[in-house]
Amino acid sequence: MTALRTGLQFEVRVLRRSFGELIALVTAPLMTLVFLAVIRHGGREDLAPYAVLAPALIVLWGVALIVSGEIIAQDRENESLEAIVASPASFAGVLTGRITAVTLVSLAGFAESWLAAFLVFRVAVPIPHPGQFILIVLVTALATAGTACVMSAVFVLARSARAFQNSLTYPFYVLGGVMVPIALLPDWLEPISRMVFLSWSSDLLRDALSPAPVPDLASRLAVILALGVTAYVLGLALVRRTIDRLRRTGSVTYA
Amino acid sequence: MRMAEDAVEVRRLRRVFRGRRKSPGVAALDSVDLVIPAGEVHGLLGPNGAGKTTLCKILATVLLPTSGHASVGGHDVVRETAAVRRIIGIVFGGERGLYTRLTARQNLEFWAAMYGLRGRTLRLRVDAMLSQIGLTERADDRVEGFSRGMKQRLHLARGLIGDPQVVLLDEPTTGMDPVAAREFRTLVGELRDDGRTVLLTTHDMAEAEAVCDRVTLIDNGRLLATERPAALSSWISTYSRVDARDVPAERVPQLICELRDIPGVAGVRAIQPSGIRVETDVADAAPQVIRHLLDSGINSVATSTPDLEEVYLHIIGERGLRVSR
Amino acid sequence: MHDLVRPLRVLRFSAGNAWADMWVIFSPLTWIVGWVSRVLVQVVFFALIGLLLGSDDAVRYLFIGNAVMITAMEATMSVTTTTWERRQGTMPLLVAAPTRLWPVFMGRSVQWLPTGVITASVALFALGPAFGVDWTPARALTVLACLAVVAVATYCFALLLSAIVLTAVDLHNVISNVAQAITMLIAGVMVPVSFWPGWVQAIAQALPLTHGLAAIRAVTDAQAVGPVAGEVIAGLSLTIGVGALWLLAAALLFEGLAAAGRRTGSIEFAD
Repeated sequence: MTALRTGLQFEVRVLRRSFGELIALVTAPLMTLVFLAVIRHGGREDLAPYAVLAPALIVLWGVALIVSGEIIAQDRENESLEAIVASPASFAGVLTGRITAVTLVSLAGFAESWLAAFLVFRVAVPIPHPGQFILIVLVTALATAGTACVMSAVFVLARSARAFQNSLTYPFYVLGGVMVPIALLPDWLEPISRMVFLSWSSDLLRDALSPAPVPDLASRLAVILALGVTAYVLGLALVRRTIDRLRRTGSVTYA
Repeated sequence: MRMAEDAVEVRRLRRVFRGRRKSPGVAALDSVDLVIPAGEVHGLLGPNGAGKTTLCKILATVLLPTSGHASVGGHDVVRETAAVRRIIGIVFGGERGLYTRLTARQNLEFWAAMYGLRGRTLRLRVDAMLSQIGLTERADDRVEGFSRGMKQRLHLARGLIGDPQVVLLDEPTTGMDPVAAREFRTLVGELRDDGRTVLLTTHDMAEAEAVCDRVTLIDNGRLLATERPAALSSWISTYSRVDARDVPAERVPQLICELRDIPGVAGVRAIQPSGIRVETDVADAAPQVIRHLLDSGINSVATSTPDLEEVYLHIIGERGLRVSR
Repeated sequence: MHDLVRPLRVLRFSAGNAWADMWVIFSPLTWIVGWVSRVLVQVVFFALIGLLLGSDDAVRYLFIGNAVMITAMEATMSVTTTTWERRQGTMPLLVAAPTRLWPVFMGRSVQWLPTGVITASVALFALGPAFGVDWTPARALTVLACLAVVAVATYCFALLLSAIVLTAVDLHNVISNVAQAITMLIAGVMVPVSFWPGWVQAIAQALPLTHGLAAIRAVTDAQAVGPVAGEVIAGLSLTIGVGALWLLAAALLFEGLAAAGRRTGSIEFAD
């Protein structure tokens, strides 16, 4: 638990100094305007909930990929990885703390998006089921952190994977249905996108923004949670493997 | 290539760096006068923060003086920058300033173009420089794989690619191993043979003594004196330090008293563990100190030359000037 | 005698530097699989919003706008790669050399021009038919020429941003991303420029992409290239003109920065 808290505090300090890392949070309000402009120009202001939700989800995923995904790789580069491994704190604990901090900070994207929509376009998107909405956001954040854990291990285990790190943005925005629901996409995409927790989250969040009761809330939340936990467990296993490899061979990367 | 006039002329040069907020500025250089005749290798010797790099930057046209005048090859560094830039070359220590993703040849080609070379002249010049620094074999390898010494040589070639009349070497041996540093001194000698004027900044007395025709001492932004290197070597022999180790603890106080009585001994103190340090300020005092220690049965004795700070302490301290940290 | 061709020679060697950088970050495989595919999916992502709006016209409009945006986006990446020059510690050496700074920086990130044109072309020509854009050879060639103009003109605009970023290296990411997002918003990529209030439209006129994209839309919307040739040439001329103004401003700013650096002492040796 101490390790987790240490990691969390550490990351908050790092992020405060290197704001450039959180570029997604800077551009999020502009993306909100982009989406809102498109739907307003298309005469579909009823889609406003879609337009404000999309940038928030993009921030959540983008930050997990670029910031959390880099954590171990960066420690590796500035040669602090060995020092952290050699400390008595649990490495998995510190990592989890750091990823949690990053993910919590990235939730600010929701507030930014709602605010930008209201301030610039005077579009106020009501949240008819606030309790459920917050619950879904939190479960989504958990799943994001779990997925970030896998990414942070993969990007350090297979250095060549890092070349493709930037490529994992838009494909996941499509598969995650962050703006256009999966239901509107070709059928063959559905099985793949259902493996991506974001597709469940975005549908569920959009349902929570419509006045009708949210159907099958518990079971759908359970799916998100299951996907997130699976990723987290897999991530921890990979992290353990990374460290074992570091201790055995003095090098963590495979290729 | 030799110029009739002085290669570098600096008159009442002053540069103040503004402090934070309303605090008064700091004068990095103050009332500096310096004349370097063409063809001279001139050393600028001083501790870190003395103002050496500030003077180099002003001569290199990348920094404006607050007041005073500086010219290179008869061209004013403030008004006639284009003329100055054509005749100077800059080399600074460390590994930065090279394009590590390019090959050695590509680096030199780029800088040759920056210095107005082209076509066949450019290619020949680049080849000649590569061969002069002994990098012909590695010319087409990327710089990122080079050793520190190779990078430093390439840096020197880069600085010389425009065939400069005046070469500014700012702490060029920083981070070099002793072998590379010695090679570097040879290269400076070659620059002198080519008839180029060299301004070399350093905080290493031995380096200044080895390669310079004259050496100017600088501290706290002021020039203190310009000397022949011989003066440096006399300081080095005058102000030496003798350390005795493994002195039985009970004998330390008495030995300190005895050593103090030797003429030319400036200071004696006990050092941990169980040793004595003697500082001298007369040329033949050190041998007497050593003899006395050996006669007293102390066999673990070492002498060392003083570093720059200590010489400053002796020379400048006596003149009542504040010594740089 | 002053050598008028020297800036061009420096530009050429600096471009060699840019090309070397390109193949350090990418291998042909990572460029195609990692970069080109990501960019194509980006175009698809935004085009699909048209499906949500239930309009094929919207799909087509968004597709063309976002495909051309790729060219502008890659040209703007030069803002980031320019900071690499600063990281190499060459600033004092460049300032102290007898050639001006702008050709160095103009060549320094030039790799993004061919790549930006290629990726956008792949999007337009390979994916276009699926998104309602049909090509004839004349149309394709005209659009290709337009893309090249957009790339160069946007690069000139980005050079000014690069000059600003040289003084604030930490902000390179923020400045280039915000510039890209604003361009996307107002330059006619997502919605027509006329959607915006007058003052926003006025700002949009200063962006090279606005005019270049208008020319491309004229080509893709017309039955044949011939009748719209005048409109296309006018659009491209504006693109080039706006780009040239930005280049001039950037060159002046680079010189101004060097002068300011000499005054304040911010040009560090071994920085």
